[in-house]
Amino acid sequence: MRRVTSLFAVMAAASMALAACGGGSSDSTSTASSGGASSAAAGGGEKIKVGLAYDIGGRGDKSFNDSAAAGLDKAKADLGVEFKELSATQGETDADKEARLKLLAQGGYNPVIAVGFLYGGSMKKVAAAFPNTQFAIVDSVVEGAPNVTGLTFAEHEGSYLVGVAAALKSKSGNVGYIGGCLIPLLQKFEAGFVAGAKSVKADIKIQVKYLSNPPDCKGFNDPASGTETANGMYDAGADVIFAAAGGSGTGVFQSAKAKTKLAIGVDSDQYESAAADLKPVVMTSMLKRVDVAVFEYIKAAQAGSPLTGVQVFDLKKDGVGYSASGGQVDDIKAQLEDAKGKIVAGSVKVPDKP
Amino acid sequence: MTESESTPHAAVRLQGITKRFPGVVANHDIDLTVVSGTVHALCGENGAGKSTLMKILYGMQKPDEGTIEVEGRQVAFHSPSDAIAVGIGMVHQHFKLADNFTVLENVILGSEPGSAFGLDLDAARRRILEISDRYGLDVDPDPVVAELGVGDRQRVEILKALYRGARILILDEPTAVLVPQEVDELFAALNELKAEGLTVVFISHKLDEVRKIADAITVIRRGTTVATVDPREVTTRQLAELMVGSELPSPQTTSSTVTDRPVLTVENLTVTDADGRALIDDVSFTIHAGEVLGIAGVEGNGQAELVDAIMGIRASTGRVLLESDDISNESTRHRREAGVAFIPEDRIRQGLLLEAPLWENRVLGHQTTEPNSKGGLIDRRHARADTQRIVADYDVRTPSIDVTASALSGGNQQKLIVGREMSGQPRLLLAAHPTRGVDVGAQAAIWDHLRHARAQGLAVLLISADLDELIGLSDSLRVILRGRLVAQADPATVTPEDLGSAMTGAGARAEGAA
Amino acid sequence: MSRFDPRRAGMALVAPAMAFVVAVALSSVVLVVAGHAPMTAFRSMFDFGVQPDNVVNIVNKASGYYLSALAVAIGFRMNLFNIGVDGQYRLAAMCAAVIGAAVALPGPLHILLIVVVAVIVGAIWAGIAGYLKVYRGVSEVISTIMLNYIGTALAAWMLTPAVFATLENNIVKTPDLPESGWFPGFATSGGEVYGFVVVSALVGVGYWFLLGRTRFGFDLRATGMSEPAAVASGVDVKKMVVASMLLSGGVAGLVGLPILLGASHSYGQDFPAGIGFTGIAIALLGRNHPIGIAFASVLWGFLDVSNQILDLEGIPKEIVTIMQGTIVLAVVVAYEVVRRWRVNSEQRRVAAQLGGPQAPAAPGPATTAGVA
Repeated sequence: MRRVTSLFAVMAAASMALAACGGGSSDSTSTASSGGASSAAAGGGEKIKVGLAYDIGGRGDKSFNDSAAAGLDKAKADLGVEFKELSATQGETDADKEARLKLLAQGGYNPVIAVGFLYGGSMKKVAAAFPNTQFAIVDSVVEGAPNVTGLTFAEHEGSYLVGVAAALKSKSGNVGYIGGCLIPLLQKFEAGFVAGAKSVKADIKIQVKYLSNPPDCKGFNDPASGTETANGMYDAGADVIFAAAGGSGTGVFQSAKAKTKLAIGVDSDQYESAAADLKPVVMTSMLKRVDVAVFEYIKAAQAGSPLTGVQVFDLKKDGVGYSASGGQVDDIKAQLEDAKGKIVAGSVKVPDKP
Repeated sequence: MTESESTPHAAVRLQGITKRFPGVVANHDIDLTVVSGTVHALCGENGAGKSTLMKILYGMQKPDEGTIEVEGRQVAFHSPSDAIAVGIGMVHQHFKLADNFTVLENVILGSEPGSAFGLDLDAARRRILEISDRYGLDVDPDPVVAELGVGDRQRVEILKALYRGARILILDEPTAVLVPQEVDELFAALNELKAEGLTVVFISHKLDEVRKIADAITVIRRGTTVATVDPREVTTRQLAELMVGSELPSPQTTSSTVTDRPVLTVENLTVTDADGRALIDDVSFTIHAGEVLGIAGVEGNGQAELVDAIMGIRASTGRVLLESDDISNESTRHRREAGVAFIPEDRIRQGLLLEAPLWENRVLGHQTTEPNSKGGLIDRRHARADTQRIVADYDVRTPSIDVTASALSGGNQQKLIVGREMSGQPRLLLAAHPTRGVDVGAQAAIWDHLRHARAQGLAVLLISADLDELIGLSDSLRVILRGRLVAQADPATVTPEDLGSAMTGAGARAEGAA
Repeated sequence: MSRFDPRRAGMALVAPAMAFVVAVALSSVVLVVAGHAPMTAFRSMFDFGVQPDNVVNIVNKASGYYLSALAVAIGFRMNLFNIGVDGQYRLAAMCAAVIGAAVALPGPLHILLIVVVAVIVGAIWAGIAGYLKVYRGVSEVISTIMLNYIGTALAAWMLTPAVFATLENNIVKTPDLPESGWFPGFATSGGEVYGFVVVSALVGVGYWFLLGRTRFGFDLRATGMSEPAAVASGVDVKKMVVASMLLSGGVAGLVGLPILLGASHSYGQDFPAGIGFTGIAIALLGRNHPIGIAFASVLWGFLDVSNQILDLEGIPKEIVTIMQGTIVLAVVVAYEVVRRWRVNSEQRRVAAQLGGPQAPAAPGPATTAGVA
């Protein structure tokens, strides 16, 4: 009994230590930046205090949360707002999220922005308790709460464009889609990507895989499984893979490098954030401009005319798009812009379900 | 006893060695002088402190007081490697060989020859053969240890010690696992070693063997050395009395209480190990109410398996009848409820919950019967009260029934077990070494309890290494050898010597197989 | 257990107290190294943790942790390691949510049905591991870990909209339970305390009674202390393995219910995962004792809830994870140290009280018995 008990304790402690390591890096940066926040106060207008609650991973995840952070940083630089950012922990309950939002609201932060649709339930409760505070939630819509703004994106439209790019760049007529977790939001990416690729080449082969299943969406932060899955797809003939898998994307890029194939990033411009040796494989990225949404929302709030209801950030608003850093899509830019124009004009309707 | 004889030839001299463990003093004021080039036997009952003393001499434990001299130089050991460095080697009772390594690999394990980058196996093989020849050990370096017999393995252990330069060899109960021929071979090898000037410390409680091989015998009792004697000048009985410290209490039963009502009938009982070898081979016998059937045998000849099979702990074939009920396929619990009591050989392993208080240990094995339980619940009040009764009746020395079993000395633990198993009027008692490690007074008390229960009609299967106990208590005797009952004897006429030779299979006097 | 012995009780508290102190000390060092004042951090955690709404959150969290730790402890007490509590409760909660949403019954019956479903599913899932151990010799450590994966995948499959789930604002979840299936809570100034807290406490009482007072419990503990001794005493170890795995799994099935019946009313992708592993740590800290586990659960809940305030104050909240990990490691070490010390002191005490033959040549009087 005792021997095995000790073994157990070591296991338990080790897993916790790993969890701590995982979250630690991101948090140190968030602390540093929030520390600096209070000192800076540039520009005119009324100074407001913005509270922002991240999804798991927080600032520094090189993906979704970072994109929100970029919008926040821009708001600070351009508008001189103050902000406070809090992050989530693995395995937490709605009550914890509630407490986090409440903490911000109580601290006088207004507006309070939550990153990620998992905040939906808790935000609804907290918003009701703080009717004079403005709330916004990225990627979701909270019904029946007048002081909550939904900041959503037309991910399928952006994915459509990178689908077009993938099909144009593919020599084998075989492309892949890797999603971080089999959830509806990610299926929206898949639907757009598939439609885009097929618009170029109706008989193109598209391999689709998801790295994890809810509720355990670890596929957003599992580069090893990204590499493995990508290896499989490349071996099966794909030569371009769209990695809509957050932090796991790095694993896909590594696989692409080893197999000398191409990959497409997601959310932010991953050509910029990738390590130097991986840059050549990042053909383009599907941009989901959470930064734009966050910035626009804060800007409107500071101007005294907050955005309300449901705000859809689509191609028209530049809420989604594709990146061209590295110049790999320069040769097909005309086709991409053409596709974009059609969507904006409404002549092409992109499906949002597979 | 004769200090004057301890000349500069002393290979080992221990003076005033004392070793305390929490609550007990395992050794105190040990004085021992082993003359170089002799076989020196160390005798004592189980628990007398022999093993602790040898662990001290081999550097496995540090004495709290006293000095150790090896070949005239005072030494202090921090680990066995220090002891090996001054030429002490040890052969443990349980061999420490890697089964799937060859003899050669086992011997050099831990003292690999050659440079740091390569093993010089040829040199090692040459040395092994040389040592083997020189001491007549007859060890072949190439077979895998798993294929060797017990005697061969023992010689490998000896060779291993010699290979590391041992001049003084400690053998811990070396004959416990051997058959008679192997014992003879071992003794021949020991004489060979002696002739080459090596010193042997021989630990045993088998007095006949000790008298046969030793040049001097030191008796240890209750943790201290009580005498050193010349084997030619003492009888086995005198040695035994030195060991227990008084006139041996006589376990004699006065008159026969044997009835003709069979309580336990065992028919064609066979137990096999995982490889299909028979550990108990077609054994049949009957014990009647009021009868004590003693099983004599060298340890490891199937006694434990026999008891386990009758208890239903081990799978077996054949039939076991309790009075007229066939309990062959019943669970252990059912057998216990039917009135089978069990004093296991290894009380720490099978008989006690060391971390549980005494009263819970009283419940153990009798969970389903009064006074311990009622319905599905443990009846704490009555169980505790009954524990108090056992503590009083069996003289269990403890300040309370709430201390854990681990806090008691071995003898008191044993008294608790005996008291527990004698409770609830069992019909059959399986008693393996019921008085092992118990002091003489308690031993006599346990015997009294057994005799009393026997007079009430209890049937007892008695297994004991103490031949006097066996002969004194039993109404009939059987000898077990390699899983078979090979002989029977009448306790009224048989002597320990006769029984001893029958146990080793050499008994021409055996009255035919059962 | 029956007579209150202040020595024993004192010693039982020494180890966790030691572990806690070590954990606080170690996290203080980390905080100082990171440039923060430890006292400020701990004080703000405490101040935050005692606010009414946070107290409610702590208690609610602790109710799930408590059940999880009890499930683990049942296994621990007989040397079985049910690492699969996590998978068991998630699958159980999933099934309970689906079935609970599909039927309409009067209140108490509806809740009872949900509870029974959860218990049965948890028990079956753990029972598979028990069966494999007994009849196929598969270590329950391996099989329960593997069953976690299978359970997760199974729940994920059931959670696809095509099967049992609905989609609401990007979140997939099972349909909401009708209100008759909600467990009424206790309204307090800090919000609603789950009514299921009462059930958790009752399970704790049941655990205490079963292990301490019943024959079954005795057999279970005996098996845990010494399997050969239990076998010799007539315990059918195979049966006990299966029975205790079923029991452990049944309790594990309850773990998700405080949240399911008290707050979420559905099983979705945001249903908390990992409580099964938290339970292992809590059972270790609480020394498998129902009261100890209760304290440990509350402590864990406090640490989990109050770390949020650190974030607000710009202190890395991962310090709490470090604390939790340290507590678990330190408590195991501390328990072993205390255990050895207790055994020694008891042996000395017994020897001293009996005097005489057991310690014939001890040089000084055995004064050590008075220690502690």
